Amino acid sequence: MIIENYHHKMAAHCESGSITSLLNHAGLKITEPMVFGISSGIFFGYFHNMKSFTFPTFIVRNKPGQMRKNLEKRTGVRFNTRDFKDQGSGQEALDLLISKGVPAATQVDFFYLDYVPSWERVHINVHFLVVIGKENDVYKVSDSYFPQPVDLPVKSMNNARFAHGNMSPRGFIFYPRYVPETFDYEKAIRKGIKKACFYMLKIPIPFLGIKGMRMFAKKITDWPAMARDTEHLSHEVMKINILLEDQGTGGAGFRFMYATFLQQASEIIDKPELREFAKELMEIGDGWREFSLFAARIGKNRDLGPEKFKQMSSLIYQRADKEEDFFKRLSKTIK
Amino acid sequence: MKEKDGYSECPEQQVILYVEKEDGKYEAIQTGSYLSANYLDDFFLKRKNLEKMLGEKIEKGEINAIGYFMVMEDLSFSELAARTGILKWNVRKHLKAGNFSRISESALKKYSMVFNVPVEEIVRKQSENRKQDNDH
Repeated sequence: MIIENYHHKMAAHCESGSITSLLNHAGLKITEPMVFGISSGIFFGYFHNMKSFTFPTFIVRNKPGQMRKNLEKRTGVRFNTRDFKDQGSGQEALDLLISKGVPAATQVDFFYLDYVPSWERVHINVHFLVVIGKENDVYKVSDSYFPQPVDLPVKSMNNARFAHGNMSPRGFIFYPRYVPETFDYEKAIRKGIKKACFYMLKIPIPFLGIKGMRMFAKKITDWPAMARDTEHLSHEVMKINILLEDQGTGGAGFRFMYATFLQQASEIIDKPELREFAKELMEIGDGWREFSLFAARIGKNRDLGPEKFKQMSSLIYQRADKEEDFFKRLSKTIK
Repeated sequence: MKEKDGYSECPEQQVILYVEKEDGKYEAIQTGSYLSANYLDDFFLKRKNLEKMLGEKIEKGEINAIGYFMVMEDLSFSELAARTGILKWNVRKHLKAGNFSRISESALKKYSMVFNVPVEEIVRKQSENRKQDNDH
């Protein structure tokens, strides 16, 4: 059975895209940037020595799952959520929803998705997609990173949903239980922005928020000593571009999408100052993009001497200074 | 980012970018991945070199096929243990080059599930490279 009236749409990010798509299907007209902004999706975190990763890395959005939780708190939307002990019960529950015509989002390891090109496939347990049908042991999937719905065999879906390791999905599914016709946008937007400012400025953990950006700037000069050879270093440096641009961010590590949210918010709550903040963040995003293109270029050219890492460090420090100033002023404006 | 600067040609990998349209509105556009459009050949070159380098390490007896796939799939030692459900202590033993033949069939199956390659492929990778070693 395929849920015929489900409208597949590409999105910048898998989690905000899946949530938006499910809410649209349930009748709430809301955009992806609005979902992202209200749920305080913008973030930064740097992980220099985490056992789960083979090399230092960073994130540019809040913790997986947090968008959904924040959105529930601020809009009144309610989701049914469930995870499972074993593949059998997980598959049964998903199949039952499909048979009832209920599209459901599920959390998966990206690596087992057969329809993803080989060069994109990495073990990461926090990808979200929406299952919209099943025929002959093949699921029909609405994956917001693809222009059209795609097919995924049951075996691969089960492997992806029940991968173990860091952030193991355990077959996690969610779908809307209650969706209001509308909600208090002003309140939700203000809360979303306030929390985002808190995440960026005040979390008392040295590798998160603006502090995390500065740690990234400081530690990136250590990267050459941590790589096994030049090609490995080149690969890791070019991954900066993937994390900021390609891995479902809408460009510049979500800064462009958050700018879009601020612009939309300025109209909805009639606060023209937010339009200026949107413009400013777009420019900050351009700076991140400049940094990511620089990383891709020096990686490709194997131009990875210490001076290049100092340059990258300096570019990150500049972003950190600008974002600190930006979020401080945004926080005061929204009070 | 202005809309005109956002487009890249890469039909195999499409992404959504938020850009500034001519009328000043920020909206989504669908475009190709800039990185894949411009640097995919470099990714494949590095991957090929990595495969070769790891194959040589198996040949020299420095690593075995479990280590090969662990590096190829960018998994840390801890993550591999967590994903297979095999105790770290045992994973450490399994990763020692000379211990490959002592890995149980059930453990190999667990590695095979995580790496998403058949057990035969893991065994073939090990024996192929060690065979080369014997031929030398």
